[in-house]
Amino acid sequence: MTPPAPQGPGSGEPAAETILTVTGVDKVFGSGELAVTALRDVSFAVQPGELMALLGPSGSGKSTLLLCVSLVEEPTAGTITIGGTTLYDGGWTGLDLRAFRRRNIGFIFQGSNLIPFLSARENIELALELNRVPRSRARKRAGELLDYLEIGHRAEALPAAMSGGEQQRVAIGRALANEPPLILADEPTASLDTERGFRVMGLLKDIARDSRSAVIAVTHDERMIEGFDTIRRLADGRLTEDAAGPRASGEGKGG
Amino acid sequence: MDLAVRDARQHLGKFLATTVGVGLLVAIVLIMNGIFRGNIADGLWLASHSGADLWVVQRDRGGPFNESSRIPEDLKHSVQATPGVARADPFISYGVQRELAGEERQFTIVGYEVFGGMGGPDRITAGRPIRATHYEVVANVDLGLSVGDSIHLGIHDYTVVGLTDQGVDTGGNPVLYLALPDAQRVLYRIDNRAREAQEARDRDRLAEAGYRGAEAERLLALLGDSTSTISAVLVELAPAAGPSRVAAHIEDWLYQSVYSTAEQRALLMQGRLQSMTAVLGVFRSLLIGVAIVIIALLLYVLTLDKLRAIATLKLMGAGNWVIVRLTLEQSLVITVASFGLAYGLVLAIKDDFPRRLVLLPADTATTFAILFVGGVLASLVGIRKALRTPPAAALAG
Repeated sequence: MTPPAPQGPGSGEPAAETILTVTGVDKVFGSGELAVTALRDVSFAVQPGELMALLGPSGSGKSTLLLCVSLVEEPTAGTITIGGTTLYDGGWTGLDLRAFRRRNIGFIFQGSNLIPFLSARENIELALELNRVPRSRARKRAGELLDYLEIGHRAEALPAAMSGGEQQRVAIGRALANEPPLILADEPTASLDTERGFRVMGLLKDIARDSRSAVIAVTHDERMIEGFDTIRRLADGRLTEDAAGPRASGEGKGG
Repeated sequence: MDLAVRDARQHLGKFLATTVGVGLLVAIVLIMNGIFRGNIADGLWLASHSGADLWVVQRDRGGPFNESSRIPEDLKHSVQATPGVARADPFISYGVQRELAGEERQFTIVGYEVFGGMGGPDRITAGRPIRATHYEVVANVDLGLSVGDSIHLGIHDYTVVGLTDQGVDTGGNPVLYLALPDAQRVLYRIDNRAREAQEARDRDRLAEAGYRGAEAERLLALLGDSTSTISAVLVELAPAAGPSRVAAHIEDWLYQSVYSTAEQRALLMQGRLQSMTAVLGVFRSLLIGVAIVIIALLLYVLTLDKLRAIATLKLMGAGNWVIVRLTLEQSLVITVASFGLAYGLVLAIKDDFPRRLVLLPADTATTFAILFVGGVLASLVGIRKALRTPPAAALAG
C-alpha cells in the first residue's frame, strides 16, 4: 500500500539528492573539568528512501545525535545538511529551525507521544495545521492516512482509548502528514510487544520504500532491524560501525 | 484547531470546579461592591432626600446622623427669622430597637412637620401620607408592615396609613415616619410608673435642698421632662441667599452648628463610611488575589500535566504562540466564565439579599478588568513553565 499523496506545503517530488549529511559532528556538554563529550567526529549520510538503524547501548550518544539531527540540540562542531540546506556549520546558519523542522522532519516517539486531548484524526490534522495546511485539506489528508494505516475506524478515538499499536500507527500517520523527506523514530517499538513491534517496523519499511522518505530509527532491539538498509552503531559518542543491511544488498530496497 | 478548548474538554471536571470556585469568590467581590455602594447610598439617603439646604444642629455636634444632636424645638422660630431663610422645619431622627409585627426590629424613627415640612417620605407606594398630627405612621416596606396595621410604640398605639419603598438610615435600617409630636413622645415620654419614680427622685432632691410642700410641688412641675426637643432644624434658603452667610449668621447669633447638605454628606463619608471603605477595599483585594492564585495554580497544574505534549508540539515545530495560546486561552476562559457565573448569581440573589446591593456598571467593569488582567498574570506562571520546556523532553523515555 502506498501512502496517500500529500496536499500541503511539504508536497512535491522527492529529492534525488542526499537527504541528510552529518559531517564531523562533535557535541560536548559542560566545560573544563566537567565537560562530557557525547558525540565525537560523527559523520554519515542518508539517501532518499533509506532505512537506517542507529544502535548503541544506553549513554552511547544515540539520543544526542537524534536531537542534533532534529535541530533541537546545537552541536559543538561539524556540519549538518538536510535536503541540500546546511543548517549547522560550526553554528546555526540563521534559518528558522522550527519552521524547517515542521516541513522537513517527521517524528515517531518511543511512547507515541500523541497529544492526549486530541483524537487520532486531530493528532494528524494538527501536524498539517501547524504547517498552515487549510483545515478542510488537513482533514481529508488525515482521513486518507488513517485509512492507509488501517485505523480509519479509530479516527475519533482519543489516545487513551487506543492500544499501543494503534497509537503508534497514529504517530506514524502524524510523522507522514507533511511527507517530510526525513523521519526520525526514537525507539518506536520500545513500548510494544514483539508482534506489534514487527508490524510497526514493517510499516516504516513500507514508508521508506513507497514515500522515498529517509527513516532513521533508534533502537536497542536488534531483532527489529531486519531488512534495514543501513545499520550504524554508536559507542562512547563514536560511530563505530557502518553495516549494510539485507535491503541494501538488493533484497528489496525501494525506489 | 483550538488546543486550549480541546484540553479543557478533556479536563472538564477540573475546569468546571475551578470556574465555580472562582465564580463564587468573584460573586463575593461583586456583593462587597454592592454592599459598599449600598451603604453609601443608604448612609446618605436621609441627608440627600430631606430637601434642606442647611442643617442647624446642636453646637459642635456632627449631627444629626454622625452623633446625637438635641436642640429646643422653638429654635425653629429664631432660624425662620434669620435673613435669607425662606423656611425652617423641625426634624427629629433616632435609631431604636422595638418589637414590630411580633419581631424585634432595628429601625429609625423620623419625625417631621407633616403639613408640608421637609424630611418626610419621598414616595408613598401604598396608602397615603400622614395627615394627622397623632397616631399615624408611614413605614418602609422592609419593616414588614401593611397599611392598616396597628403598632405599639412607647405608651401609645399607631396606625400604619402608608408605605414607602424608600427611607433608610445611615446603617441601612428602614425608617418609620411619624408626625413630629408623636416622634417626640415616643422618644421622650415615659409611662406613668416611670414618671412616678422620676418624680419621687426629684422630690427627694428638692427636699434635700430645703423645698417642701406647695413650693416643692410647683418646682416639681418645672423639673418634669420636656418633649419639645428636636435633632435639627432643616432650612430652605430664600432665592439668591448665600448659604455661607446664612450659616455664619445662625452660628454667630443662635450659637448652633450649621451644615450644608453637601457638608453633611462629606461628614458621613469621612466618618462612618471611610473605615468601611477601607475594610471592604482590603477584602475585595484579598478575594481577587485569592481568585487569581487559584487560577494560576490550576493552570500550572494543567501545564505540568501536559509538559510532554508541549515538548512534542515544540519538536513538531509549533511556534511559541501556539504554546502561549494553549495556556492563556484557558486562563481567559476561566476568568470570563467565572465572572459571568458570579454576575448572574449576584443578579439572581440581589433582591433577596439582607442588605441593599447597589451594582454600579463602573464597579462591575472595574472588577472584570482587574480579574481579566489577573487572569492574564495567572497564566504567566503556566506559560513560563511551558516555554521553558525543552523540545528534547519529548524524546525522554
